[in-house]
Amino acid sequence: MARNTYKEDERLDEPFQLKHLLRASGYIKAYTKQMTAALILSAFGGAAALVSPMLIQHALDDAIPAKNTVLLFQLVGALVFFYALSVILTTVRSRIMVKVSQNIIYNIRKDLFAHLQKLPFQYYDDRPHGKILIRVVNYVNSVSDMLSNGLINLILEILNLVFIVIFMFLVDVKLSLVVLAGVPVLMAFMFWIKNRQRKAWQQVSNKNSNLNAYLQENIVGARITQIFAREDENAEIFRGLSDDCRRTWMRAIRYSTSVWPGIDTISVLVRAAIYLCALLLFGNGNTSLGVILAISSYASRFWQPIMNLGNIFNNFLNNMAYLERIFETIDEPVTVDDLPDAGELPPITGRVDFENVSFSYEKGKEVLHGVSFTVNPGESVALVGPTGAGKSTIVSLLSRFYNLDSGRILIDGTDISKVTLHSLRSQMGIMLQDSFIFSGTIEDNIRYGKLDATLDEIRKASRTVCADEFISAMKDGYASEVKERGSLLSQGQKQLISFARTLLSDPAILVLDEATSSIDVQTEKALQQGLNAMLKGRTSFVIAHRLSTIVGCDKIMYIDHGGIVEAGTHEELMAKKGAYYQLYTAQIEDVGPMTA
Amino acid sequence: MKKTGTSDGVSIMSEKERKRAARSVKKTDNNLVWLWHNMEGFRGIYFLAILGTLLYNALQLVVPYFSAQLVDRFLAGSDAAYNLTNHRDQFFLLLELMVGLTIFRVIIVYLDCVAYERVSQGVLYRVRNFLFDKIQRQDMKFYNTFRTGDLMTRVTGDLDAVRHMIAWVVRMVVEACALLLATGTYFFLMNWKLALCLLAVAPVLFVLIYRFKVQVKPMHQLLREKLAGMNTIAQENISGNRVVKAFAREDYEIERFDVGNRDYRDTNIKTAYTWLAYYPYIESLANLLPVIQLLAGGLFLIAGDLTMGEYVAFSGLTWAIANPMRQLGNIMNEFQRFSAASRKVMEIYYAEPDIVDPENPLEHTGRFDGLIEFRDVSFSYEDSNLPVLKHITFTAKPGETVAIMGETGCGKTSLIHLIPRFYEPTEGEVLIDGHNVNEYTLKDLRGGIGLATQDVLLYSDSIDGNIAYGDSHISREEVVKFARYSAADEFIAKMPEGYDTIVGERGVGLSGGQKQRISLARALAVKPSILILDDTTSAVDLETEKEIQHSLRELSFPCTKLIIAQRISTTKTADQILIMQHGEITERGTHEELIKKGGYYAELVKLQTGM
Repeated sequence: MARNTYKEDERLDEPFQLKHLLRASGYIKAYTKQMTAALILSAFGGAAALVSPMLIQHALDDAIPAKNTVLLFQLVGALVFFYALSVILTTVRSRIMVKVSQNIIYNIRKDLFAHLQKLPFQYYDDRPHGKILIRVVNYVNSVSDMLSNGLINLILEILNLVFIVIFMFLVDVKLSLVVLAGVPVLMAFMFWIKNRQRKAWQQVSNKNSNLNAYLQENIVGARITQIFAREDENAEIFRGLSDDCRRTWMRAIRYSTSVWPGIDTISVLVRAAIYLCALLLFGNGNTSLGVILAISSYASRFWQPIMNLGNIFNNFLNNMAYLERIFETIDEPVTVDDLPDAGELPPITGRVDFENVSFSYEKGKEVLHGVSFTVNPGESVALVGPTGAGKSTIVSLLSRFYNLDSGRILIDGTDISKVTLHSLRSQMGIMLQDSFIFSGTIEDNIRYGKLDATLDEIRKASRTVCADEFISAMKDGYASEVKERGSLLSQGQKQLISFARTLLSDPAILVLDEATSSIDVQTEKALQQGLNAMLKGRTSFVIAHRLSTIVGCDKIMYIDHGGIVEAGTHEELMAKKGAYYQLYTAQIEDVGPMTA
Repeated sequence: MKKTGTSDGVSIMSEKERKRAARSVKKTDNNLVWLWHNMEGFRGIYFLAILGTLLYNALQLVVPYFSAQLVDRFLAGSDAAYNLTNHRDQFFLLLELMVGLTIFRVIIVYLDCVAYERVSQGVLYRVRNFLFDKIQRQDMKFYNTFRTGDLMTRVTGDLDAVRHMIAWVVRMVVEACALLLATGTYFFLMNWKLALCLLAVAPVLFVLIYRFKVQVKPMHQLLREKLAGMNTIAQENISGNRVVKAFAREDYEIERFDVGNRDYRDTNIKTAYTWLAYYPYIESLANLLPVIQLLAGGLFLIAGDLTMGEYVAFSGLTWAIANPMRQLGNIMNEFQRFSAASRKVMEIYYAEPDIVDPENPLEHTGRFDGLIEFRDVSFSYEDSNLPVLKHITFTAKPGETVAIMGETGCGKTSLIHLIPRFYEPTEGEVLIDGHNVNEYTLKDLRGGIGLATQDVLLYSDSIDGNIAYGDSHISREEVVKFARYSAADEFIAKMPEGYDTIVGERGVGLSGGQKQRISLARALAVKPSILILDDTTSAVDLETEKEIQHSLRELSFPCTKLIIAQRISTTKTADQILIMQHGEITERGTHEELIKKGGYYAELVKLQTGM
């Protein structure tokens, strides 16, 4: 799959939304009790409110003409009672529904986030992060009302409608048919607008997603923007994306806004038709005045729920675009997952076997081909070779960040694809090329490696990697606040912090992927000493270009062309006079003749 | 990102837009005044929209009158049969009026809604663009203050509350006021005594609404903090997904997000409950209207102070007073949401960076000669008590290569960040071509500098677009040329889609060394007079690095180079090597000179060659 950018809309393959509504009902099910209670309360509240016109009519017809103040007061008392009852019932219903709808959002968001944690690197690599973020935060907010109150109102309005239709037919079948004649027109109108409206709102969500993606990248990359003095051009691009949002919104809103007026128009035409029919029927003397009156009043009452239904439907269509995106993410297949019968990986002693491992990121473009090697417990292995040869790939396969095309990777003789990801990864310490810093204190950032670590442990880990000195020199020491893209730390310092974080996790197997590239040689040397003591007895993999980092390893593997070209100790490889020899001598020669 | 066509017409527009905004930066604390400033150009149509609201509400009051007439005279009245046979023309007239006016009203409603939406989208579009521009022109202090998730909340969620204010809240206020006023006046004219009885609820209502406002205001501020908090957790989790997986911290992250998610939910419920505490009273007040009407009206009827016709007219219009009353709480709620959100938006809207263009910038066209001078420069970060740079003095002559080496955190990066004015020195001067860097406009200054930063940040765009980031008008041939300079052409050409390959955000899918080479090509592509490489080849293998060093010596344009590096192979051929320790330059000279000197550098050489 091609990578998505802020310039492209995300494709949506789902043709119809009923499936999503059914999915959504799963979230509602947990609250069936509350929803039912709310429904009953609403029904009673509605009924209580319906009594009031009868009471008023009674007062006007009987109490007032008879100048019966006592009856009037009694009726007013009854009126107050029923209104109060209706208010109380409605308030209780609202309190229930607020909780239900907030819990539904909470649950959807929770599932969405939990699922995102399971999704492999590939998912995050293939799309701008702003597009993932907007789903978790903004989209979920939009659908809550539709799933809670929308549903209750839907049921209520349908019930209401059914009652009215039954009454209407009991009064007069022919005139009822006239009233119902408006329904097919309405259906046709709704059908016409349905797909257009849905598509239009999908466009809105796409364009908003693009905008969010661009926004996020530019906030993160502000410094790049500034150094390239590209503000004007970026503003231009953003204006374009912003305009897309505005255009699609206006298009969608035209459809949404026309629903209500459309229903209103059909309703007034139906009423006019009833009057006309009444006129004709009256001429024939077939219909009594009372019937016409009754029907015409039912007709307007009949259209009220229809209009409300139209509104609910409208709301559904608007939010369906968001719901689709949410479920699309929740349904995103987890390609790297625990097998159903996956067991725990026992504590690692450190033997690693690659058996004929082949791997490709994209189909047909093999990065590794038939790689086999064995590492004994406690050995340190250096991976060297040109950039892009597949060194990082080998170590990321070790943590099962990706699935293999073929072959097996064994740790202590256990196939790592047969154990739980958590038991595997929690024993590995991987220091990646990008040292990501979370916003929070430095202490918290290091503690990420071991959540229950004491400050002493954190200091100890920091001392091992020579980070303690600069951290202590900061204004607030370990409690100094750092921001995700803050500039208070140099790249080398970030690497040291992330190094301390990795060490703190006390890994059985340590992987250092260009972990020290931004750290100066002096610091690295000091760091190495602390590290060596720590690494005794642990298997480790080191990717580095700096020979000083590599020379001391037990085994060196030269990686190129998707496989291992040479392997052995430094001395063996030097004696072999192959690729490694050339690499090594190149660096020595390069420095030139040493005086002194 | 490339070739989006910066047509001149549009960029003039944007200039105009910025000036307009600058004018409206008559900084105001009042969010409504602020909103009014930003409605410039839309005020006419907004005024029409408000008139439209008045019109359709008037129609809403009038149309039922005709249908009532129709029913009374031709269907329900005692002389209906007579009227039907003798006044058919009137029957049809009323029917036509009923249908015609309804359709007219419906059209007005539609146009009116669209007009409100247009204005709100117009303002949204304007403010959003302005905010974006504002954010990207801020200095580092700003970025150390605001978290990404928080900034994103301001440009999306908070702005949406502003949009909602224009599109919906104002309309509801107008509607409520119009209905209340029209109906109130009508009631008073008809029977002031009954009208007075009905309006007795008003003071109680206002007291309630006011108390609600006071109570709900902090809730909305809290709510939007919680939203931003949750947004930040999610944003960092997504950006840091590799770290999360590497440490198998999924459960911890889920837990962390759950706290934010739960907090947001609970605050939402609390806010809704604040309203629900008032709702029964306000709803009761609204319900009190028909009760008062029946009671007082009934008594007046009995006493003969009111006619039946008047009574019917009153009761037919009770909704026109009760509905706006019911709406008031909702309106106040939304208004407070707007208040909380607009404050957050305005904070960014009025944010001014400390590092700005000088008032009378130096005229500068074309390239710099490339003379860089640091004169006794000291520097410390605002929130740190330690000086980062101490009395730095050095000169890089045009065309020279100056290498800077030193321990992690010794101030190398801070030093080079002073040249494009990411920060200002606390003491001393940084000069380019004999002028202090703060005499140039930022655009001129930075336009002449190519910087490849340590933290390689690529955009989710094609490789071509990434390299041409600084100058999107360069041709593919040139892009390839610069990729060759940075030894990137070979691996790019090998990719199935070559230069059109999309690299993910932060350049995922590329190895560290590959990213660095693209970042180098990007810096070279602006043909800078001054090239600054901040440890840009640390993850590149030695062979490739050699190649890069070679081509850097043979660039097709004159260029002064400042190179931060750890490797001797990079610094060996430099005209000048500066060794920095704890913010000071402790050694300087050429490779040979420094080896002879036998200091830190000589030590480094020994370490790296293993001799």
